[in-house]
Amino acid sequence: MLNLEQYELGNGLRVVLNEDHTSPLVAINLWYHVGSKNERPGRTGFAHLFEHMLFSGSEHVGNNEHFRYVQSVGGVLNGSTSFDRTNYYETLPSNYLALGLWLESDRMGFFLPALTQEKFDIQREVVKEERRQHYDNVPYGTSFERLLNLAYDPDFPYQWPTIGSMEDLGAASLDDVRNFFTTWYRPDNCTLTVVGDFATDDAKRLIEEYFSEIAPGGTFPEFTAERKPLGGERREVFTSPVQLPRIYRLYHLPKMGAPDWIYGDLLSTVLAADKASRLDRVLVHEKQIAQDVAAYILPTEASGMLMMQATAREGVSIETIEAAIDEEIARLVNDGVTEDEMIRARNRAEIEHAHHLENYDERADIIGMFTTFFDDPQVVNTWLEPYENATAADITRVAREYLVAENRATSLFLPEGQPS
Amino acid sequence: MTDRTKAPLPGPPRPYHFPDVTRTTLANGLRVLLARTHNAPLVSMRALIRSGADHDQPELAGVASITADLLDEGAGSRDAIRLAEDIGLLGATMGTGADWDASYASLDVLARYANQAMEIFADVTTRPQLPAEGLERVRAERLNDLLQQRDEPSMIAAKRFSGLLYGKGPYGFPMSGTMESVPKIGLDHVRDFYRQHYVPNNASVIVSGDLEPEHALKLVEGALGDWGRGTEPPRPSPIPKEIEGNRIYLIDRPAAVQSEIRIGHIGVSRSSSDYFALSVMNALLGGIFNSRINLNLREKHGYTYGARSMFAFRRSAGPFVVAAPVRNEVTKESVHEVLSELRRIRTGDVEDRELHDTKSYLMGVFPATVQTASDIASRLLDMELYGLPENYFDRYRENIGAISKADIERVAKKYIDPDRAVIVIVGNAKQVREPLGTLGYPIHELDIDGNAIA
Repeated sequence: MLNLEQYELGNGLRVVLNEDHTSPLVAINLWYHVGSKNERPGRTGFAHLFEHMLFSGSEHVGNNEHFRYVQSVGGVLNGSTSFDRTNYYETLPSNYLALGLWLESDRMGFFLPALTQEKFDIQREVVKEERRQHYDNVPYGTSFERLLNLAYDPDFPYQWPTIGSMEDLGAASLDDVRNFFTTWYRPDNCTLTVVGDFATDDAKRLIEEYFSEIAPGGTFPEFTAERKPLGGERREVFTSPVQLPRIYRLYHLPKMGAPDWIYGDLLSTVLAADKASRLDRVLVHEKQIAQDVAAYILPTEASGMLMMQATAREGVSIETIEAAIDEEIARLVNDGVTEDEMIRARNRAEIEHAHHLENYDERADIIGMFTTFFDDPQVVNTWLEPYENATAADITRVAREYLVAENRATSLFLPEGQPS
Repeated sequence: MTDRTKAPLPGPPRPYHFPDVTRTTLANGLRVLLARTHNAPLVSMRALIRSGADHDQPELAGVASITADLLDEGAGSRDAIRLAEDIGLLGATMGTGADWDASYASLDVLARYANQAMEIFADVTTRPQLPAEGLERVRAERLNDLLQQRDEPSMIAAKRFSGLLYGKGPYGFPMSGTMESVPKIGLDHVRDFYRQHYVPNNASVIVSGDLEPEHALKLVEGALGDWGRGTEPPRPSPIPKEIEGNRIYLIDRPAAVQSEIRIGHIGVSRSSSDYFALSVMNALLGGIFNSRINLNLREKHGYTYGARSMFAFRRSAGPFVVAAPVRNEVTKESVHEVLSELRRIRTGDVEDRELHDTKSYLMGVFPATVQTASDIASRLLDMELYGLPENYFDRYRENIGAISKADIERVAKKYIDPDRAVIVIVGNAKQVREPLGTLGYPIHELDIDGNAIA
């Protein structure tokens, strides 16, 4: 059981403290409840581009100085953007707690005075290179983007990936940056988690000192989009410079934390986690028709998704792979999940959770996640309960209900020059 | 109002202690290192075999890594699937692999299952079945991997760069083997490699995490005490190629929207007495986010998402390399900027502040990198592999702290040579060929397998 202290400042900033003196470190972690799902069409990729800007200085911290302050005392830091949230974090020697809070509060409260067109133009180029490096210049790089495009309608904002499109990145303006900051980067849209080697009273005093004078935002644009049923399988075949055919599938699930999402998580382990899991065993090990298989779910707040992929061995058709996947799903639905599989899947969930809690950085991050998504940091202490209580029948039912053609998008990547 | 104009001062530093390590050597020569941690109910087990792909014959490249891949394709009385099932029943994850210097097996497990997990760990390390059908499966998988790598620009760049530095010998061919070598690897090669190198007097075992050292030692003795001794294998040495002047090697990927750039030459071995000076110099040059090369290419010019320099410190001298993916239009400019930074670091032009910041980063960051049982096991593994002294981590700060500007200049001049560098570009030849020509270095065009294009 983690001992958590939670409270809210007058301006609405949620604070969670976990005092732990194992290592002489503090992990400071901020989850802003804004991500690519809060972008508007024509400005995709903006939440992530904005994240880059928040490292380029604020009123009292020069350009690139945020990195320098942290690194020069032996700290590590970064940030990341996903559909639902943007996080910023640093792990510092514990005697530098005040430094970290000063840096984070400066960019939360005093970012705009330091904003310039020049910094924005540089970061826009950096982000375009990020897109080229991870999406456009590598095999299968656009697979996730294509699958999302297919699985969601344009009115549901999981339809595009956080990196956004080149065109939209090019169209973003300095005014967009100002508006985005003013709208979303407020203390009452943020959870601050601090884990590590500090005295709780000292941390409270410092947090009060640095954050309490930052004005709240009050109201935030409401998220009202609802995902509509697909109305039948959506499929796409795409040829590109890859050597081996690969199939990608996205099955819709309820949002993160819902019972069927938890069962979906266990189901993904039963399907593909190690050599003994179903798709691995049959496709990769026994039939040796697939080079690799994967199944996992994403921690998404507005709607859930189970992702599945498999790469065909050289000379094996993608039809063979797809038929084998469907056969294994049918077998699982008909014969049911075994007790041994349940034990292995629960164990894996347990060891993964234990790994998340093992170091301060990840522990702070998942506490931030639980507080942001479920309004309750204590979920970190009860997270495994529904996993432990799940039965084989629950998993089999979820497979039967959700792993059906009408509930999925399928994208096939084929090598160029091969008949589809 | 809070005074925000100055960074708050730190409190008094809090002491850090690397966990106590219990060291012992079993009668069969197996070195055992045990470290207790308290922050999670997890245990990490590691086996280190001090032989890796450096023992591969070029025509049989891939033997060491395929042997490692085969360790968990059946071991003791369990076949591959049964092994994976039993590992899963213990809430464990298992991995095996090899690099140039060594081969590894690792198992992470919930502490309450450590006893049973040790049996499996010992089976995989000392009683692998190395079955024929396992080899065929792994071989097919490997050949398909190699096929896929032909479309991955960073992989193409890394392979060509190594080949140009080391030729056909160790460090020059890919550790994972080639389309030519992998089909030639027979079960005898794998079993011979295993018999010769997987012997306790060529190995160390590390157990870290939520387990009392006395208990851990009993487990290790029980499971690995009867592992039969062998002959300690000889150590091969890679033979570097002579490089006469800067040469550009251009590998065309007609659809590329970025150039993968690799610039460098042969570096230095892990045992170098200049290791600490080189660590500081490289961190300042291109080893961390706020280093010169990254600030220049990314933050000043917006050419790349990230540029890095590194020394691959191996048992023999591994490469020194600067790596950056940049958009096609700025390929020449990026090469020019990297070479300028390599020249500048040799002039001794180092500011007090950047030296201070870099040293203080390296000295301060250590505790943040050893929070988990698995982190601690990795550090101990390094210690064992490179024969570092027992007080290495305690003296690390002091050794870094002693590095001066003169040291930076000295090691930069000694180990960085911007006039005898291999420059590999994997990119859109049509767009980058002409601008690169204006740099004045000879350009050799290669196919992705390294053959010259007439």
